[in-house]
Amino acid sequence: MKFLGFIVVGLAGAILLYGTGDFPDWGDPYSPASLHISKDYIEKALDQTKVPNIVTAVLADYRGFDTMFETAVIFTAGLACFLLLRDFREKKERFYRHTPTGVILHVKAGKKILDGGKEFEYMDKDWVPSDLIIKTVCRILIPFIQIYALYVVAHGDFSPGGGFQGGVIFGSSLILLAISYNLKTLVKRISEKMLGVYAALGVLIYLGIGVICMLMGGQFLDYAKLAPLIPFDSNHIRALGMLGIEIGVGIAVTAVMAIIYINIVSEGRHDEGL
Amino acid sequence: MDNYPVLIVVAPLLAALLAGFAAWIEERLSYPIALLGLAVSTFAAFEVLMQVIFFGPIRYEMAGWPPPMGIEYRIDLLNAMVLLIVSGIAFLNLLASYESVNQEIGDRTGSFYSIYCLFVTGLLGVTATGDLFNLYVLIEITSLTSYAMVAMGDRDRGALASLNYVFIGVIGASFYLLGVGYLYIQTGSLNMTDVAIILQDYHGSSTVLTAFVLCMVGVWIKMAFFPLHAWLPNAYSYSPVVFLRVVAPLMTKVMIYVMIRLMITVFGFNYIFKTLNFADAVVILATVAIIFGGVMALAQKNLKKMLAYIIISEIGYMVGGVWMGNQLGMTGAILHILNDALMTFAVFLGVGNIIYQLKDVDFSNLGGLFGKMPWTMAGFVLAAFSIIGIPPTCGFFSKWYLIMGAFEKGAYHFAIALIISSLICAVLFFRVFEICFFPSSSQDNKQKDVHAPGKIEEAPVSMLIVSGFVSLSLIVVGLFSGTIVNMIILPFLT
Repeated sequence: MKFLGFIVVGLAGAILLYGTGDFPDWGDPYSPASLHISKDYIEKALDQTKVPNIVTAVLADYRGFDTMFETAVIFTAGLACFLLLRDFREKKERFYRHTPTGVILHVKAGKKILDGGKEFEYMDKDWVPSDLIIKTVCRILIPFIQIYALYVVAHGDFSPGGGFQGGVIFGSSLILLAISYNLKTLVKRISEKMLGVYAALGVLIYLGIGVICMLMGGQFLDYAKLAPLIPFDSNHIRALGMLGIEIGVGIAVTAVMAIIYINIVSEGRHDEGL
Repeated sequence: MDNYPVLIVVAPLLAALLAGFAAWIEERLSYPIALLGLAVSTFAAFEVLMQVIFFGPIRYEMAGWPPPMGIEYRIDLLNAMVLLIVSGIAFLNLLASYESVNQEIGDRTGSFYSIYCLFVTGLLGVTATGDLFNLYVLIEITSLTSYAMVAMGDRDRGALASLNYVFIGVIGASFYLLGVGYLYIQTGSLNMTDVAIILQDYHGSSTVLTAFVLCMVGVWIKMAFFPLHAWLPNAYSYSPVVFLRVVAPLMTKVMIYVMIRLMITVFGFNYIFKTLNFADAVVILATVAIIFGGVMALAQKNLKKMLAYIIISEIGYMVGGVWMGNQLGMTGAILHILNDALMTFAVFLGVGNIIYQLKDVDFSNLGGLFGKMPWTMAGFVLAAFSIIGIPPTCGFFSKWYLIMGAFEKGAYHFAIALIISSLICAVLFFRVFEICFFPSSSQDNKQKDVHAPGKIEEAPVSMLIVSGFVSLSLIVVGLFSGTIVNMIILPFLT
C-alpha cells in the first residue's frame, strides 16, 4: 500500500512537472496572465474605483462576490467549531483558591458555584499563579494592538491591509487577553452570545450592502448605486462601499477567531483553558 | 425581476445568517427563517428556469462589472434545471425534518439550520456561477459545512468518518484549484466562456492538458467516482439523517454538473474527444465503478451503507454517459442527474422515516416494517422501483438513454454493466422487501399471535407527506421524460 501511494504521488508530481513545460517564461511581461485582465485592472482600477490599492479594488469590488463567500467560509468555520465542540454539560468539580490565605476549596459536583468576587480565584487544570509582569504588559499592549487593528481595517483602501488582516489582529488581541489573564476574563468581557451575534453580523453587513445595492436598482454589490444614500462624496462612492464591507469582514473575522480559540482551548466548556 | 439569478444564492445565505442570529436570541425562529429562505430560493429558481426556457440564457454581472473583469452568473438550461432540483430538494427536505432535527441534534438546532442553509448556498452557488474561481470558493463552503454535519452524526464513528472525508475532500478541492491555477497561467482569465475562447489556440499545450487532468481528478474525488470513492460510504452512513437526505441526492449530482460544465463550456468537446483520446478509458472506469458499487452493496448488512454503495454505482452511470461523447449518452446523463436526485431523495426520505422510529437500519432490525410503517414503505418501494429501473418510474428512462448511447458508441461493456447493475439493484431491494415483510424471529417470540395485525407506528405526518409527494413525482417525471428531454436537454445540447 505504501508503495502504491509512492507511485501515485510520483505520478502526480510528474504530471505537474509536465504541465510546467508550456508555461510562459518566468516574469515574462507578455505572458497571458499579465496581458489579459491584469492589464485592465492596473490601467482602470484607480479610475473606476478611486482606490489606490489595486489589490483591494480587485478583492472588494471587481471580485467582491468571491470575498463575500470567503467571509461566509470563515463564518462557517466558527459555526462548525461551535456545533462540534461546544459542550453544555456542567463540569463535575471545581477548585477555588482563597487569595489572601492561599487555602484551596474543593466544590464537588452539583454543589453551589462560588462567585466570591476578588476573594476567591477559580482554578482550572491549566491554572498558574498570576504573573504581575505578564498581566501588566499585556494590559498596556492590548489597547494599542486593537487601535492598530482598526487602522489596518480602515486603511485597506490605501495600503496593504483590510478586513481579514485587521480582524485577525483584533482577534489575536482578544486571545492575548485570554492567555495573559484567563479564559474567564475574556468570556466575561465578550459573552459567547455576543461573539455568535457579531460573527453573523459581520457577514450580514457585507450581504446587506449587496442587497441594498440591489434594492437601489443596481446589480448585487454594485456600490455605485449607493450614491443617493450617502449625501457626501459620491465621487468616491465605490471606495466607501469597500470600506463598509471591509468593516463587516473585520467584525466577522474577529468574532470567529475568538469563537474558535475559546472552543478549542476549553474543550467546549468555556470555563477553563489557557 | 432581473435579480432572480443572484436571489437564488443570496436568499439561503441571508437565511443562514439570520438563523445564526436567531440561534442566540430566540431559537424557535431559526426553523421558519431557514424554511422561508429556501422557499424564496426555490421560487427564484423556478422563475429563472421559466425565463431560460422561454427567453434563452441569462447573464448576471456581479457588481455591474462586465466579465472577464468581474464575476458573472451565467444560467442556461442545464444550470437552471440543476438549480431548481437543488433548491427544491433542499426545501422539501427541511420541510420534512423538523421532528427529526429535534430528535437528532437536540440542543443546538438553531446553529444547525444555519449551517444547513450555508450548505445549500454552496451547492446553489457552484451551480449558478460562470467563474472558475468563484466555483472553488463555493465548493469550499459546501465541503466545510458537510464535514461539520457528518461529524455531528454518529457519536463515535461520525467524527472519524468526517476526518477521512476532510483529508480526501481537501485534496480534491486543491486539485481543482491547482487546475484553475494552471489555466490562469495559460489564459490569464477566470471567466469560463472567456477561458474557453482563449483555450482554442492552446489545444496542444501540455499546461492545458495538466489543467484538465487536475480539474477532472479534483471533481472526481468530490463526486466519489471509482477509485476515488473511499470516503463516501462511511461519511454518508454516519451522518445525521437530515443531512444525509440532502447530501446524498445533491452533492454528487452537483459535482457531475460541474464536470459537464467544465467539459462542455470550458474545455470543449472538440478538445476532449478529438485532441485527447482517453475517453474510452474513462468509460471503462465508469463500467468498473458500476459493477464495483453493485457488488459492494450486495455485501452490506446495513440499509444506509447499502444505499451509499448504490450511489457510487449511480455515479458510474452518469460519468460513463457523459464521457460517451455522443448526444444520447449526454442526454441520458443529464436526465439521470434529475432522476437520480429525485429517487435518491425519495429512498432516503423512507430511510429517514424508518430511522426516526427505529434509530438504526441494520437489516436485522427491519422485520415487519410493512406492517408497522405502511405509508413509509409504500414510498420506499416506489423509490426502489425507480432505482431498479422499472418502466413507469423515471429511473427507467434515463437508463434507456444511457444504454442507447452505449450501443451507438459501441461501448457494449458499459451497456452490459448497466443491465447487470439493474439486476443487482433488483436483488438488493427485493431482499430488503423480504426482510421488511415478515416479522423478524425475535419479534415472533414476543408476539403470541403471528397473524394479528401489527400496531402501526408511523413517522410524523410532515415526513410522510413529503415522502409521498416525492415518490409520486418519480412517476410524474417518468411520464414527462419526453417533455423534459425536448424542452431542456436537447435544446441545451444543440
